[in-house]
Amino acid sequence: MKDIGHIEIQRVCLGYKSGLDTKTVIQDLSLTLDAGSFTSFIGASGCGKSTLLNAIGGHYKPLSGSIILDGVEITTPGADLGIVFQQHTLFPWKTVKENVRFGPMRRGAGRAAADKLADEYIDLVGLSGYESYYPKMLSGGMQHRAEIARALANKPAVLLMDEPFGALDAQMRASLQDSLSSIWENTHVTIVFVTHDVNEAIRLSQRVVIISRRSGSISAIIETNRDHDEPIEQYMQSRRTQELKKRCLEMLPA
Amino acid sequence: MIASDRKQDRKTRERDKYAKKKSSLANKYGLDYMIRFLFIGRRSVRAFIIPLLSIVLGLLVWQWLTQTHADVILDFSNIPSPLHVYKSFLNVVVTKAYWKDIYWSLYRIALAFTIGSIVGVSIGVALGYSTVLRLIVAPYIEIMRPIPAIAWVPMAILLWPTTEQSIVFITFLGAVFPIVLNTWDGVKRVPVELVKAARSLGANRISVLFHVVVPYAIPNITVGMALGMGAAWFALLAGEMISGRYGIGYFTWESYQLIQYGNIIVGMLTIGILSSITSGAIYLLKRKIVPWSE
Repeated sequence: MKDIGHIEIQRVCLGYKSGLDTKTVIQDLSLTLDAGSFTSFIGASGCGKSTLLNAIGGHYKPLSGSIILDGVEITTPGADLGIVFQQHTLFPWKTVKENVRFGPMRRGAGRAAADKLADEYIDLVGLSGYESYYPKMLSGGMQHRAEIARALANKPAVLLMDEPFGALDAQMRASLQDSLSSIWENTHVTIVFVTHDVNEAIRLSQRVVIISRRSGSISAIIETNRDHDEPIEQYMQSRRTQELKKRCLEMLPA
Repeated sequence: MIASDRKQDRKTRERDKYAKKKSSLANKYGLDYMIRFLFIGRRSVRAFIIPLLSIVLGLLVWQWLTQTHADVILDFSNIPSPLHVYKSFLNVVVTKAYWKDIYWSLYRIALAFTIGSIVGVSIGVALGYSTVLRLIVAPYIEIMRPIPAIAWVPMAILLWPTTEQSIVFITFLGAVFPIVLNTWDGVKRVPVELVKAARSLGANRISVLFHVVVPYAIPNITVGMALGMGAAWFALLAGEMISGRYGIGYFTWESYQLIQYGNIIVGMLTIGILSSITSGAIYLLKRKIVPWSE
């Protein structure tokens, strides 16, 4: 088990200031994410789950409280905190390979070393052969794969994913979910995954954190305790999983 | 083969012969063929022939107007005929002065446009990227932008020690504003997600500027450069006509003063060709540096 990527969220309030008014979205939320864990945030739209993810990524400063990564408070975005956004954010003027090696090169890796890393991660997400394609020439699912490779090539402590598969068709989504599962099993990077799809949350993660829109805080934490030797379809159809799903759905509207 | 078949065979052969005869008749008179060729013929052939005919017709009308000294609203009595222009061209194209004029105009355009692009892109990026700089510089841009470059001629002559410098300055002014405004617009449009993604990949503010903001704005910048090139020619010709000693604008204006009317049109057409070539160069440059946007 890796010992980096431990996140401590301590009594965090998040919101937007507009003039003198402050609109609070997340209220007094505390949570510990263990190194190497896979956690999903689900909740109704507007509950602040995306805002929370962006705050962990260093893109929002909490109004109060702090978010601590391996003992150091997060204040700015950085290479440690990889993010995959819902929108496509590959640089359109760079090829797949140039996109993936962007992070390593910013951190001072030489061209050759960065290329080697890029090849490794492009292979990991199953995009070998598409290195010299521009993002526009790829399908939506392939672009997501490239984005995951780009985030992972930085060897981040944490991989934050903000509804990354939201806009894909069911088949593409299932294939990416499987890829993500195996990537997590291989790298054991700490993953925080935001979604509004209960199935997706249960299928992928160890823990499902349900965030309530009304209170702006956690309304339940559900452990899935998935046995990873069990085939995924069997797991998804088991009575226990159905039970978990039901519990999640009951908690959701709150 | 039985008899009836043979008869049938002869019948078709006769019909073929008749058809052949008829089509050769049509070919002979050509009318049917022409109509087909022009209106239902292959598109690519039509697309070439009709514009050509249109130009030939236009030249004929021009020749006719000048030969009859037509004077209906427009006065054609002093206008050189197409043949006259062609002769003027043959006379002028062998002179050193003509090529020297072309050289000077291109030199001024190249110099002014290069400086204009560097200054324009820098100002445009600064305006889009820094709020403080925008507040300081934008008012000047807004005041000077609506003033056409030609209106700067007297000021330019006063400002710069030599005429040459003032012409380049006016040309620069023509080029710089479209480039500034389009660059600024491009930088403003950079999606916040792209900047966030770059920051999360470990890029600092300077890296974001050169790896995200400027590349994102390049298509807009090339649009600004294409517009700037047109405006630069406009300003250059005004400058050359008013205060030049060489240059294709000066050539055209001088032809008028020396009553070499054929050369006026040679000058105009030369300007058109040069301006097309420089705009085409920008288009090619764009194709080369932004292959990802195609």
